[in-house]
This record gives sequence, C-alpha cells and structure tokens, in this order.
Amino acid sequence: MIRFLAAAALVALVAPAAAQRLAADVDCKPTNHDLVYDCRIALREAKSGTPVSGADVSVGADMPSMPMAHNVKPVKAKPGAAPGEYEARIELEMFGEWALRLDVRGPVRDVIVKKLGFREAR
Amino acid sequence: MDEYALGVLINMGLFSFLALSAYLLLIAGEMSFGQQAFFGVGAYAAGIGTAMWGLPLPVAALGAMVLGATAAWLVGLPTLRLRGLYFAMATLAAAEMFRIAFELVRWQRDVDGEPVGPDGTQGFRGIRWVLEQGIEQAGYAAIVFALLAIVLAALFVAERSRLGATIRMVGEDAELAAVLGVNVQRVKLGVAAVAGALAALGGALYAHHNTYIEPRNFDIMLGVHSLAYGLIGGLGTALGPLAGVAIDIGLLESTRAFQGYRMIVFGGLVAALLIVRPRGLLDETVVNRIAGRLRHRRAR
Repeated sequence: MIRFLAAAALVALVAPAAAQRLAADVDCKPTNHDLVYDCRIALREAKSGTPVSGADVSVGADMPSMPMAHNVKPVKAKPGAAPGEYEARIELEMFGEWALRLDVRGPVRDVIVKKLGFREAR
Repeated sequence: MDEYALGVLINMGLFSFLALSAYLLLIAGEMSFGQQAFFGVGAYAAGIGTAMWGLPLPVAALGAMVLGATAAWLVGLPTLRLRGLYFAMATLAAAEMFRIAFELVRWQRDVDGEPVGPDGTQGFRGIRWVLEQGIEQAGYAAIVFALLAIVLAALFVAERSRLGATIRMVGEDAELAAVLGVNVQRVKLGVAAVAGALAALGGALYAHHNTYIEPRNFDIMLGVHSLAYGLIGGLGTALGPLAGVAIDIGLLESTRAFQGYRMIVFGGLVAALLIVRPRGLLDETVVNRIAGRLRHRRAR
C-alpha cells in the first residue's frame, strides 16, 4: 500500500512537462445516417497558429449534463488533405449539446474540449 | 489496458468519491440530492488554484476540500433542521443555487497569452496541470485510486469506532439517539462537512482529468446518480457505493448497443432494486452475515 502511494506521488510530482497549448476548429456535418456525423478538425498551435500535423487525435464526446456516464466511445481521427487537418466520424446517442473531447498525442500533447450543438434536420 | 478502458476506470474512481459523499449522509439518515454542488465547488476551486494561481494540484485539492467542507457545513446549518423529503428538496434547491452561481462567475486571467478561468455558461477551459506535469492516464488512475484507498481505509476505521456507531444510531433513530445524549445536529453537521470535503476532492480530480468544466456538469443528474450508487450497492458498508458505481458504469458500458435508451435501463434498475432491496445489495443484514461468517471461520 505504502509503495503504491509512493509511486503515485512520484508520478504526480516528478514526471516531466510535455504539454503544448493547442487550438482547434471543429466542423461536424450530418451524414445519411441518423446521429452520425463527419467531423473535420483543424488543429494548430495556439500561439503561432502553425498547423499541427502528424499527431494522434482521438475524438470522444460527453453530454455536459451527465459527465462521465452519457458519453461516446472515442474514435481515432484520420489525417485530412490539408496540413493540420483531421477527419473523424462520430456516432452520437441523441441530439443536443455535446462537449467534444480531442485527445492529441504524438509530437505534441494536449486535450481540447469544444462544445457543439447537434440538432435534428428538418 | 487501452486508453479508453483507463478512462472508464478513472471515471469510476471519480464517481466513487461522490458516491461515498452521498453514502455518508445516507447512513446518517439523510437523503441529499445536492452533493453535486460540492463536487462543483471542488472542481472550480482546484481549477482556479492550478490554472490561474499556478498552485500544485495537491495544494489546490486540499484547499478545494476545505472549501467543500465549509460550503456543505453552511448548507447543512439551515437544511439539517428539516427532515426526510423536506431535507431532500432543500438540498436540491441549494445545489441549483450553486449551479446558477457557477453560471454567473466570470473571472479570467491571462495565462500564456490566453484568458483562463471560469467564464459563466461558457465553462472553464485550460485546467492543464496534469498535462503540464506529463502525467498520463495510467499515472492519473494510480493517483485517483490511491486517494480512494486512503478515503476507504479512513471510512473503515471510522465505521468500526464509537463515532461510526453513533452516526449509524443517528441514522436509524435520531430521537432515540438524542434521548441517549447524542447531539444529533452536531453529528449530522460534521457528517455533512466531511461528505462535502469528499465530494470536493472528487470534483478537483474530475476537473483535472477533463481539463474543462462547466456549470451543467453539476446539475441534478449527477446528484441523482451519486445517491443511486449507495442505494444500488448497499448501505451496510463503504464498499456498497463503490459496488453501485461498478454496476452502473459496467451496465452503461455494456449496453452501448441501446444508445440513449441505456439511461432508461439504469432508471429501471434503480427502481427495481429499491423495491426488492430498499437498502441496496450490500445492506446491513448481508454485511453482518458476512462479518459473522468471517469471525466464525477465524475462531475455528
């Protein structure tokens, strides 16, 4: 038990810094299937605006009013055509407001949360 | 273990703090629909501590716990004079007041050229301490479960002590406890403060896992779930709410095929269990039976 706690404390206090502040624009368009969306993500460095390519990006979603329970299993985004662009297809559980969580790994490390509203097409 | 499974595991750990918070009040005889408010207080306080003031997470979390305990004590002062449904309604109203207050808080500071801090309904982004320390999911899971283990150990010790017996006595028959000389109001206020601190610790860890929080994260749904965990898992031991969390999250994860309808499954489960086992799976009878068998085996 004491070893476990010591290891946890060591991880918390000694691990090196690796994060970089990123920004993203996310645009999700409905597909022919209900609640399935194709999302285009433009990832860039927050300060310089330089596009970030070659990163591993996974896209998950949480409903803000039921965090941790009402969520969508993350999917891996594929690199898009333009630098810093990624594409992912997500399947939601219902319409409404969702907080998209972009987990970025690889050359840079960051987590970006974007809130988007998904409405039923009329 | 893959990143997603680790994320689910961390969520279970985070929910457990809230579940234990609601459980403490349940064994003291009170059903609170408002523990999510102190979870939110902890999330905002710790987020402000690390993201805006540059404090390390352990210090910010400790401050958040003190703030959570104080807030819960202040809410408990008037509401614990009420009983049953009236107390439940009062805690729900108090939690909504906190949520609305979070919506009104706009206080940001420039960090690395970007505004960081609570921005009302737009939420609070950039709670990056964990990322900046390079702590990955496995490391964070270790931290969450190490803290949970400490809390559980403390609860086991407390439950076996005179204090634990007093809390259960107050929960089962407050009038009788008062006749026997127990200061019921003081015991309940103490329990409420500890429960507030526990919820705040969970909130602090949640904010740093998610990096983003917003007022709607702390609405009634979270309160209902936190209460349901104890009622599903059982009120006989502190392991009960944890069993409730494992059953709920396990059920939600295994019924993904039902999409949004899986929440109905959860509601149905709570309703069915409350009818069949009103004090949960690991209720006092089951726990006493298991403890008796263990004692008997040791004696042989």
